[in-house]
Amino acid sequence: MLGEILNPYYLQVAAFIMINIILAISIYITLSSGQLSLGSAGFMGIGAYTSALLTIHFELPIIVGILAGAVVAGIIGILIGIPALRLQGVYLAIATLGFGEVVRIIFVNWESVTRGSIGLSGIPHMGRELLRFFKDIGFDPDMIGLKNNQFIYLLVLLILVLINIILIWFFTRQNKSRIGRAFAAIKMDEKAAEAMGLNITYYKVLSFAQGAVLAGFAGALYAHVLAYISPADFAYHRAIEILIFSVFGGSEVILGAVFGATFLTLLPEALRFISEYRYMIYGAILVLMMAFRPQGIIDASVLNWFKKNLKSKRGTNHGTRINKNN
Amino acid sequence: MLKVSGIETYYGKIQALKGISLEVNEGQVVTLLGANGAGKTTTMKTISGLLKPKLGKVEFLGEDITGLRPDQLLRKGIALVPEGRAILSSMSVYENLEMGAYHRKDNEIKKDIESVMAQFPILEERREQLGGTLSGGQQQMLAIARALLSKPKLLLLDEPSMGLAPLIVADIFKLIREIKNNGTTVLLVEQNAKQALKVADYGYVMETGKVIFNGEAKDLLEDPRIVEAYLGKRASTVESVRS
Repeated sequence: MLGEILNPYYLQVAAFIMINIILAISIYITLSSGQLSLGSAGFMGIGAYTSALLTIHFELPIIVGILAGAVVAGIIGILIGIPALRLQGVYLAIATLGFGEVVRIIFVNWESVTRGSIGLSGIPHMGRELLRFFKDIGFDPDMIGLKNNQFIYLLVLLILVLINIILIWFFTRQNKSRIGRAFAAIKMDEKAAEAMGLNITYYKVLSFAQGAVLAGFAGALYAHVLAYISPADFAYHRAIEILIFSVFGGSEVILGAVFGATFLTLLPEALRFISEYRYMIYGAILVLMMAFRPQGIIDASVLNWFKKNLKSKRGTNHGTRINKNN
Repeated sequence: MLKVSGIETYYGKIQALKGISLEVNEGQVVTLLGANGAGKTTTMKTISGLLKPKLGKVEFLGEDITGLRPDQLLRKGIALVPEGRAILSSMSVYENLEMGAYHRKDNEIKKDIESVMAQFPILEERREQLGGTLSGGQQQMLAIARALLSKPKLLLLDEPSMGLAPLIVADIFKLIREIKNNGTTVLLVEQNAKQALKVADYGYVMETGKVIFNGEAKDLLEDPRIVEAYLGKRASTVESVRS
């Protein structure tokens, strides 16, 4: 029975939702200190290629590759961030967009290492490696009534869900900490924040680098979930897509990023039956959205509304009874 | 306490300050006066590290602080209330005050916030209200209160009375006097020359990037050249009729 529900296709879509959530959080973090960066696709690519190359050529364990991908993206994020963060608003967006294109063009042209636009195939697949591990210790998916494929995708999904829970927990905590306060203050009014004695450059580079680390991390996961990457995966449209996840869902709160990534990953899949029209509908939804709710679907007031309603659930029952008595 | 010698600051190729020198002694309120475009705010920005001078030196307690960042200055005891009351508009009054003590790591912060609240009853009333929903005068109070929470030795106030109603301006100046009585040194940039000279001990008058007069505040208040140029004869007759 379990075997029927766990369709590998659904599991794969769910896995992409998880990866997209990480990407959306990465841009949410940079936006939370008031900076619009379009370099996330570039950092994602750096993470993906770093991890893929390390695991293919040096046969490193996948987990080492993924962590290396995140670290390399973070280091490049700091190096790019220090000069780039002198720019503000749309200038920063253009500069980071340029950075992303440079990264992609390096992937295309550095053929001896990246194999150019053909891309890298044969990247160790996270699920298959894990399956091999489980088989080595004498466990077979058949024992719980699953096919190999189902087991692989289920395992990958569980790992990604776990990673997401940890990340969301961490960044929710950070938002309430000194660092989160500093980000918020810089976003609201940079001059005021500076007058209060915040080291603006430090916090801006910190949030930029955190975004880069997350994007690199997500990119590395992407490489090991798909087992194939090419420069086209990390082009300009990817950067825009990631930005839209966060802006559509609501860039003020972390749940906005989660919602945006989930909804916008599911939407084209759900609309698959009308094939070529689906991206038109996708586009129309985005246009309507920007016209009627520019702050995104979920913002602080929506969250407050939910909190209030959940809290007053018990109270409402009580209230209706009084009404009946009247 | 603060000694500025011969600073020259440029915006690109345009020279805004042509060698400003001034001194602030401990426990004093010193005011910097002048018309629009005289370079008052530029001087303040240069002292507080928002702009770097091409020439000249800023010293604080005998230490060269030229070109240090605002956060470094705050650690040395210089707090700035910037022009236009920079308030964090979507944070509550209380959170704004907490941000003022951001760099402090002692355990007195909560106690100090409460004592500042006691000094500013209007902020106490509105502690949960968002900064952006306060009136102009209240925002200015909040900006000053926030700067005080960093426990500065020297407070830099940039045009605190700008755009406020006369009654509120009077409150602000009363507050500056209180701050002085509590032992904090103040450098005050103002356009409201008469009020500023009344609270100040010493004054500097600037014009097109230079200091043109300086002296004891009470002397400046009576100096005919200053009365004519900055206080206005009419204003003084109105004042004498009132009193």
